[in-house]
Order: sequence, then structure tokens, then C-alpha cells
Amino acid sequence: MEELILELKKQIIEALNLEDITPDDIDTNAPLFVEGLGLDSIDALELIVLMEKNYGIKLEDPGKSKEIFKSVATMAEYIQKHRTK
Amino acid sequence: MKKITSYCRITDHQVILNGNKLNIAFSGDTGSSRLTEIYRYLDAGYAKFHKMDNLSKAGFLASEMVLRSLDYDLEIPDGSTSVVFANKSASLDDDKRFQETINPNNYYPSPAVFVYTLPNIVTGEVAIRNKILGETSFFILEDFDAKKMHIFIDWAFLSPGISRVLCGWTEYLDGHCDVLVMMVEKDSPEGMDFNTLNINQLY
Repeated sequence: MEELILELKKQIIEALNLEDITPDDIDTNAPLFVEGLGLDSIDALELIVLMEKNYGIKLEDPGKSKEIFKSVATMAEYIQKHRTK
Repeated sequence: MKKITSYCRITDHQVILNGNKLNIAFSGDTGSSRLTEIYRYLDAGYAKFHKMDNLSKAGFLASEMVLRSLDYDLEIPDGSTSVVFANKSASLDDDKRFQETINPNNYYPSPAVFVYTLPNIVTGEVAIRNKILGETSFFILEDFDAKKMHIFIDWAFLSPGISRVLCGWTEYLDGHCDVLVMMVEKDSPEGMDFNTLNINQLY
């Protein structure tokens, strides 16, 4: 899990162009949106693309997104359970 | 008489602010990484910059320098300023980036790239950053044309309450940057006369 979390943090930094931020700067349990990294709605869409592109996960129920993208930890947990690649 | 009270010129090789070449230590790379070097030089502290497309970055940086030189207070909502830019390649630079994400063999359309596939987004980025509430417009011309730009910048002053217009040429394509951003003010005692001759000279 630790390895997946680190990998995910690196992918988030690259996909969202978070310049000057390293994986160590991202608190695994901190909120990704509004507080924490302060991501916005376009970032949320990029994270959905990231999940599909890198892990083969298609999010078909938008209602679940809020819970999945709560933090890096919740994302990693979901990926571990549902990844197809 | 309207006056050009500040201007900034950014090309692949230099940055000029009000006639003075800025002493920025560029690495060998041009294009996007050069824009990031200018951003770091300015120490703008605006993380959203890194999410912008190159056209918006170029327009943002030139606007930032012009407004700073005028001690513009970006905390106060400003209904007396308009933003009017023009270029010849529209958002083609970002359009091409987006096209790369919709390759049938690797189809992952990027929302973050898509949102910049309109050239007028740069005017919105500048307005948001600086709390500019006046009208924003973007014109696409065949080439740099001071005469046409003079006409449509003049139009912007016809809107009620507009006393100055942040305006100019914001062109970026395939790693090449060609930008002239000016502040034109209606009632300023200082500055260059706002006419096609001076616009051409600054360019």
C-alpha cells in the first residue's frame, strides 16, 4: 500500500502540474479539495482520467467520487480494490 | 488624449518592461520552460499559473509586469479596466496539445488541457488574477496589425466607466512567444500617445 500511495502522489503531481510540490508535501490523509492541496473541479476530472489511464478504473457512479477522492489514502484504497491494470 | 502608460514585450530572447531589458538568467530552453523562468523571476506566488496553457502564461506574465509597474492593487475589484488582447494563432498551441490526448490509440482526453482550447481564456485568467471587472475581448487577426488593434482598443473605452484598457498582442505557438501588453489610460498626463505609430514602435 505504501508503494501505491507514493506512486499515486507522483502521478497526481504530474497530472495536475503541481509545481514545487513533492510527494512528501502531500499529507496522505488530508482532504484533496478545498483544503489540503486545494484542488478544483477540473482537477477532479483529471483525477478521473488518471484512474482510468493508469489503473483501468472507470468511475461510473459519480455519487461515489466524493468519497473516493477524499484523500490520497481513500484513492489508494479504492484503486487497490478495483484496479484492472 | 489617451496614453500608453506602461508596456511589456516578451519574445523568445528577451523581456522588456518600459524600455528596460530585464536581467533574467535564462537557461538554453525556450518555450514553456522559459515562461516558467520568467514566472520564478517575478516571484508571482500564483500556483494556478502552472495549470495554464502557454498562451495564458505568456499573457499573464506580461500583464503581471505591466500592472506591477503601475502599482496596481490586485486586491481591490476594478470596474474601470477592460482587457483586450489579439493574436494570429488563437489557441492552436493548446488545441494541438489536446489533440494529442484524443489519439484513437491512446484516448484519454485531458479536461485540464481542454479548458484552454479557446484563445480568450487568457483574458479571463488576467481578469481573475487582478479582479478586473470590465469587459474582456479577444480578437484573431491575420498578423500583428497596429491599426486594427488601435481601433478595437478604442472601442473598449466606449463602455461606461472604462478609463483604462490592458491590451495588446499575445501570440504563442510551438514554443515561440511573441507578446506586447500595454496599459492605455484615458486621462493620464504621462506616457506615450496612444497611436498606431507608437504601438508599432513598441512592437
